[in-house]
Amino acid sequence: MDPSDEALCERVARRDEAAFDLLVSRYQERAYRLAWSILRNGEDARDVSQEAFIRLYETAGSFQGKSKFSTWFYRILVNLCLDHKRKHKWWKLWIRDDDDDRSDTILDRQPAPANDPVDKLSREETLKALGAAVERLAPRQRAAVLLRVQEDMATYEIARVLKCSEATVRVHLHRALATLKKTVEKR
Amino acid sequence: MARHPDTDLVPYLRGELPPAERERVARHLEECPDCKQDTELLRDLLGNLAHAIGEPPEISWPRYRAELRAKLEARRALVPWWRRPMPLALSASLAGALLFVAVWGGRELTKSPDAIGPEEVAIGSELGLLEEIRTVERLDLLEDFEVINNLDRLASERQG
Repeated sequence: MDPSDEALCERVARRDEAAFDLLVSRYQERAYRLAWSILRNGEDARDVSQEAFIRLYETAGSFQGKSKFSTWFYRILVNLCLDHKRKHKWWKLWIRDDDDDRSDTILDRQPAPANDPVDKLSREETLKALGAAVERLAPRQRAAVLLRVQEDMATYEIARVLKCSEATVRVHLHRALATLKKTVEKR
Repeated sequence: MARHPDTDLVPYLRGELPPAERERVARHLEECPDCKQDTELLRDLLGNLAHAIGEPPEISWPRYRAELRAKLEARRALVPWWRRPMPLALSASLAGALLFVAVWGGRELTKSPDAIGPEEVAIGSELGLLEEIRTVERLDLLEDFEVINNLDRLASERQG
């Protein structure tokens, strides 16, 4: 039987390298994808998610098992992403980031095409507009939406990751989805 | 009609509300066509969002782990300065400086309290002038400039 994430984290606290490697293998894709969803830049997502694993290695001893390991780890990761966005906001307003991976990938990754080409085009345009609208959300609203949609987290888990109350998460989600709904309704 | 359960709709759709709250929201949706329509829109929106957000560019996971391992090793090598081993030359210089301070400081401490330095000798040579301080205080500086000029002689005349 595979050891639980929590058991592996305890072993990492005792500097068990094999346990660390196993945790990295389990979470690398999810960490990278979530970081990319928030940062929308592949290189930044790789760097920030790797930094999250380094923090995990350094602070594994402070994990007390009060929440799930995933919640604790996502808190580290999301905080790093939000910090990264805050630090890089000023120059991104000034210089357009040519490395952004946002524009050319959405259409290529859609599910099986619809039979009607007009419907397909309309759906693709709607998804593209929706993706762009997600990027324009306030950072914490966006993080709440991504944790809900991508990680299928419950409200109380999102609250723990974002270090706020469940009521605040509900408001974040409500406002974010109301904004996104307007984007869809406009089309 | 009770207030619209706006912020409860996402938890309701995910099925995470406690039974009583779930019942309240369900009852409201039956009575309120606007909220019912909102809920359907939200359901579609949440379904579409997963596709709209998309997937990140693909990367090589072995390379990702190798980079992570290298970064971790580099971080481990960053020992705080007070825990780093000191180079031999720097250690020797510091030891020499400490020895010098200890010896010089010791000599200063053991010096006799009666020993007179060159500054004290210079001040002592002007003591005669200081003895006339009362005369100086009584003088109007502009009118008695000549007296001031000859204070040394005045002192020697008194002694004589």
